[in-house]
Amino acid sequence: MGAVCRSRSTMVLTGKRSEKGPACWKRRVKSEYMRLRQLKRFRRADEVKSMFNTNRQKIMDRTDVLNQEWKTRRIQNILSAYQTLYVSPLRPQCTVDSGFSEFPKQVIPLKTLNAVASVPVMYSWSPLQQNFMVEDETVLHNIPYMGDEILDQDGTFIEELIKNYDGKVHGDRGERRPEALVTSSYTRACRRAGCCSRNHSSSNDSSKKFPSDKIFEAISAMFPDKGSTEELKEKYKELTEPQLPGALPPECTPNIDGPNARSVQREQSLHSFHTLFCRRCFKYDCFLHPFHATPNTYKRKNMESLVDNKPCGSDCYMHLVQAEEVKSPSKRPAAARRRGRPSSRPGSPSVSSETKDTDSDGEEGTSRSPTPVTLKLTCEPEPVDWSGAEASLFRVLIGTYYDNYCAIARLIGTKTCRQVYEFRVKESSIIARAPTEDEDEDTPPRKKRKKHRLWATHCRKIQLKKDGSSNHVYNYQPCDHPRQPCDSSCPCVTAQNFCEKFCQCSSECQNRFPGCRCKAQCNTKQCPCYLAVRECDPDLCLTCGAAEHWDSKNVSCKNCSIQRGAKKHLLLAPSDVAGWGIFIKEPVHKNEFISEYCGEIISQDEADRRGKVYDKYMCSFLFNLNNDFVVDATRKGNKIRFANHSVNPNCYAKVMMVNGDHRIGIFAKRAIQTGEELFFDYRYSQADALKYVGIERELEMA
Amino acid sequence: MSGGSCKANGAVYPASSAGMNSVKKPKMEQIQADHELFLQAFEKPTQIYRYLRTRNLIAPIFLHRTLTFMSHRNIRTNAKRKTFQVDDLLQRVERMKGEQESQCLASHLQLTFTGFFHKDEKPSQNSENEQTSVSLEVLLVKVCHKKRKDVSCPVKQVPTGKKQVPLNPDSNQTKLAPYPSLLVSSSEFEPSNSHMVKSYSLLFRVSLAGRREANGLVNGEANENIDVTETPSRKKRSSSHREEDGSTETYVAQMTVFDKNRRLQLLDGEYEVSMQGMEDSPVSKKRATWETILDGKRLPPFETFSQGPTLQFTLRWTGDAGAKSTAPVAKPLSTRNSDGSSPMETRTSHHRAAPLAVKDSLSMDIQTRRELVQCEPRQKLRIFYQFLYNNNTRQQTEARDDLHCPWCTLNCRRLYSLLKHLKLSHSRFIFNYVPHPKGARIDVSINECYDGSYVGNPQDIHSQPGFAFSRNGPVKRTAVTHILVCRPKRTKPSLSEFLESEDGELEQQRTYVSGHNRLYFHSDSCMPLRPQEMEEDSEDERDPEWLREKTATQLEEFTDVNEGEKEVMKLWNLHVMQKGFIADNQMNQASMVFVETCGPFIARRNLCRNFLLHLVSMHDFNLVSLATIDRAMARLRGIQEELGPDVEPLEPLEHTLETAASCNGTIGASGGGSKLGKRTKCGMND
Repeated sequence: MGAVCRSRSTMVLTGKRSEKGPACWKRRVKSEYMRLRQLKRFRRADEVKSMFNTNRQKIMDRTDVLNQEWKTRRIQNILSAYQTLYVSPLRPQCTVDSGFSEFPKQVIPLKTLNAVASVPVMYSWSPLQQNFMVEDETVLHNIPYMGDEILDQDGTFIEELIKNYDGKVHGDRGERRPEALVTSSYTRACRRAGCCSRNHSSSNDSSKKFPSDKIFEAISAMFPDKGSTEELKEKYKELTEPQLPGALPPECTPNIDGPNARSVQREQSLHSFHTLFCRRCFKYDCFLHPFHATPNTYKRKNMESLVDNKPCGSDCYMHLVQAEEVKSPSKRPAAARRRGRPSSRPGSPSVSSETKDTDSDGEEGTSRSPTPVTLKLTCEPEPVDWSGAEASLFRVLIGTYYDNYCAIARLIGTKTCRQVYEFRVKESSIIARAPTEDEDEDTPPRKKRKKHRLWATHCRKIQLKKDGSSNHVYNYQPCDHPRQPCDSSCPCVTAQNFCEKFCQCSSECQNRFPGCRCKAQCNTKQCPCYLAVRECDPDLCLTCGAAEHWDSKNVSCKNCSIQRGAKKHLLLAPSDVAGWGIFIKEPVHKNEFISEYCGEIISQDEADRRGKVYDKYMCSFLFNLNNDFVVDATRKGNKIRFANHSVNPNCYAKVMMVNGDHRIGIFAKRAIQTGEELFFDYRYSQADALKYVGIERELEMA
Repeated sequence: MSGGSCKANGAVYPASSAGMNSVKKPKMEQIQADHELFLQAFEKPTQIYRYLRTRNLIAPIFLHRTLTFMSHRNIRTNAKRKTFQVDDLLQRVERMKGEQESQCLASHLQLTFTGFFHKDEKPSQNSENEQTSVSLEVLLVKVCHKKRKDVSCPVKQVPTGKKQVPLNPDSNQTKLAPYPSLLVSSSEFEPSNSHMVKSYSLLFRVSLAGRREANGLVNGEANENIDVTETPSRKKRSSSHREEDGSTETYVAQMTVFDKNRRLQLLDGEYEVSMQGMEDSPVSKKRATWETILDGKRLPPFETFSQGPTLQFTLRWTGDAGAKSTAPVAKPLSTRNSDGSSPMETRTSHHRAAPLAVKDSLSMDIQTRRELVQCEPRQKLRIFYQFLYNNNTRQQTEARDDLHCPWCTLNCRRLYSLLKHLKLSHSRFIFNYVPHPKGARIDVSINECYDGSYVGNPQDIHSQPGFAFSRNGPVKRTAVTHILVCRPKRTKPSLSEFLESEDGELEQQRTYVSGHNRLYFHSDSCMPLRPQEMEEDSEDERDPEWLREKTATQLEEFTDVNEGEKEVMKLWNLHVMQKGFIADNQMNQASMVFVETCGPFIARRNLCRNFLLHLVSMHDFNLVSLATIDRAMARLRGIQEELGPDVEPLEPLEHTLETAASCNGTIGASGGGSKLGKRTKCGMND
């Protein structure tokens, strides 16, 4: 088929040579477009093939490893083993009689192999030990197959399902008809058009770089919805221009360790790290928190003073400065005192505004900064070459170390502190000013004497929270409202959550949970954390042991099991009840933590959509987390997902606030013995936590 | 089976086929079809149970008498267990040891002689006048343990008494003259002081005064075996003997009372002992073997009784002189074996089984013997077995008059036991008890829910055959827990428990075993978990491979993050994922560990400045201190120096970047508004 197409297109091409009319161009555009499409399809097929082959190679390698392993095992002949072991008159025997006299009759005991029951069906899933947030799916990824009879019985089900996704099904060919494809992916089509036109230009034997207008006219006539001729021209220009190798998108800072490192501002250098770092997971671009707060607004809690007042060597800049300070003695101590403050101002989410911010900062710095301009050099600066990387690094470090030039020089590595100092003087215009003390007035700090009263009242507050709205638990989102205390407008307060250490408010904020001061195990309601259904925060609860013994399993605090992942060893086997079941390896006491119920975190709407399919399958791993989110262990999860439902369970589920995240802990309802199957009640876990049936929830809302 | 398998033995007879009799003229095919259905339903399980029955007879796995509902089959009582104490063990052994003797001590051996019979060839009528009695001397021979230097065992002969015994008394004679009787004191059987006595035997010496040598009769000494053998028919009397005049002849015979294992050989009863003419002391010749020869031909052992001189006497063990017998009397063979369904149980409670009886029981066919056994309580109880089949639409009834199980012919002796046995041992069927005026009706139907699956060690099924024997070292096996003792709360036995119940038996479903008595599987591959893999949880890693790959690709997707940043971020992410940090105050340490583990990689890849940026960023987040930055960087410099100057350039890094980029091509667009449809960090916070 492909060959036929191609031959036809060449025929058309050759035929086209003679005529020069717009119709001919149009035809050429069309054929070229078809050819490109064809090419793309071939390329795609090749890609798939090579992917398949690499996968296959992987499997073969793995099989080889396994086979090698088996070869090293010595397997004893089964017959000799059984012959010696089981000789009994009752055991049936097999006789082989050849019928020829020269072959003796052979008798061996008959070994009957027991029938092995097949294991229950398991759909593939990926193991997880922590929740994983996924976005809502806007297209139906596949049309679920549940056997012909169900589809026959309920033909409308699939229709309704597709309707839930506004008729969008992944990989739908109907969507990808040429016109539709062109409309949907505008840029790609334009590029293709560009290529197409370039091809035409080469076939036209025109030496000039830019294709003739005729081509654009033809293209625009062919695909009228792609815009006018002029627009296409613009697009073509845009697409053909950045052909330089190794070019990076303009918003990307070049690698500071690479050869192309440029001299950029501090914010720019750190932008990737700042924006991608999740302060809650300590990871870059974490799986759980889609929104990361930038660090600018974090306040330094404790002033770090790392000034080594001693010169780092004979060539230290301090000798220069000290010479200077004889003349103007008042400057140094003031600068030293301001050390250890972050540089920039709060709240600057996007790049464009940030760069502007830095610029304005710089300007402010020059206008307001009391220190740098007065520094003068006593001797001539040696001419030094500062590479882009070095300059960038300097700007980064100066924001952290201020005028500890020795330290900066040490970290840069390639420059002496004196050179740094000199550069500093030169760069003084862009050096961030050290923030002044009076700026820090976002939240009025609590006074020390207030602290005790707060401790007394917070238990009452917890109590209030508990019985006030047990049914409505909202997801926690760090609040960020600069210069405003956490009052009724604070999202944490309105969601009836405590402010956490991740909030941008002051650590003295009234809405903060102060943690516990327990010295016991934090497993009774005496512990305010336990009472508030929170796990002890290792950064807040410093006495109970939640912040100790990171490596060992025996922590004195029993209220930090989920975060530490101190789960019990679980074993999978066919259940005594239905399908698979999960069994505990070692005995546990009542109320002991067993495992966290992990899975994908999806929105309630997504859960409704997925739930429809799961209900049809009669198998659901959905578990309500809070009013905003649901845990779905269908695709990703851990072994506890195999725990079955029982009205008389031995486990219970509890949604706890663990360092700002709601997480589901499964605990022992009674003492459980070795090898027992685990059950929990799907219905009553944490205030109708599990929405086993999506429809049920809808009815309830209606 | 041919319709007979349900009639387990001859005792079952078809009483009424209710289903069939109701039809007036059943067509032949109909009956045939019905029979086919019946067979279809009951043939297979019945055959299985017949097989199991036979197997249980030959190699029993358990004894029925140990089952609680069969406790009446157990003769012994457990009453003593309540008062049992370990300390009593020694005492009991001591007492038992003494008892063996004390049994003898307590009871005296009483011998009452009926007469001495000697058949002569030529009957002489006048002999009666001459002599009607012989003189009998009874000696107790004690064979003692051989001392080291003795050639033969020391023998002590203790005379116990002399009696006149009637010679050839006429059995027809009705006169009941008091037979001469002799009492051997129990004290004689006590261990003598000087020697350990090995065995005791009685030596009878009959002196026949004025008797001639019996011509033609050469009686060799019967060997000891014959001597001690009790006669199978003790009441057999030989025909009247005649004795002959002659010079004094002496006949001797020896019988073992206690053998060298101190087992009592002589039980109460009547004995007839063949005597031999005395030429020598029989004791000295005990090692020789003898055959009875008559006229040069071999004489069968029992022939001697009709030929030779015999002494008849009655032996009794008495508590005190003239009291009733205390020695345990062996039961007749039939009653002793009647209890047992398996040979194991036929073991008699007496430790002194007569050798003949044992021989007899062994030679006897087990099956035929059981046929002889009859149920001793002859209740007139009729059990109707109603077989339901074809979805319980058809039925056939058979009746039995006894309480034997139709499948394993076990005599249950009680209706409750029968029902319990049926229910527990034949669970391929469902038995429902219905009271019946004549006895009981038992509805038998096929148990559709019967789970005949394997109940042994689950590892055995799945393990590769032969694997257990392939040893490259010690092979670990899974511990499997089985119930050894289970004492559920027992309800009082009541027939009502066999009535058809409406509610499902939930309690039966409960497993009482705790422990790992099942085969576990890997959650990722569904492969059986091998015993050696039991201990560590292979599927609990915080950073499974797919997640590690996911975080790497996710970072690679960013178009506005440069490759140096990506590398450091990936390294750090993997580090955090692996270690699972949860607290802010862990970060200082985490950074230092990071340098230690990934430092060489960072140095080799030339990522030091990016690493510094990472640290500064962490500091901006208030997670690490300045001191940590300094220390971490110092350590990194140290590592750099250790590695030396030949640090690879960026080449491998770009390689990884390329592969990642090609990877991205297949992943496809995920929104974000960037040029190539990849993600941007700026898009993250929109």
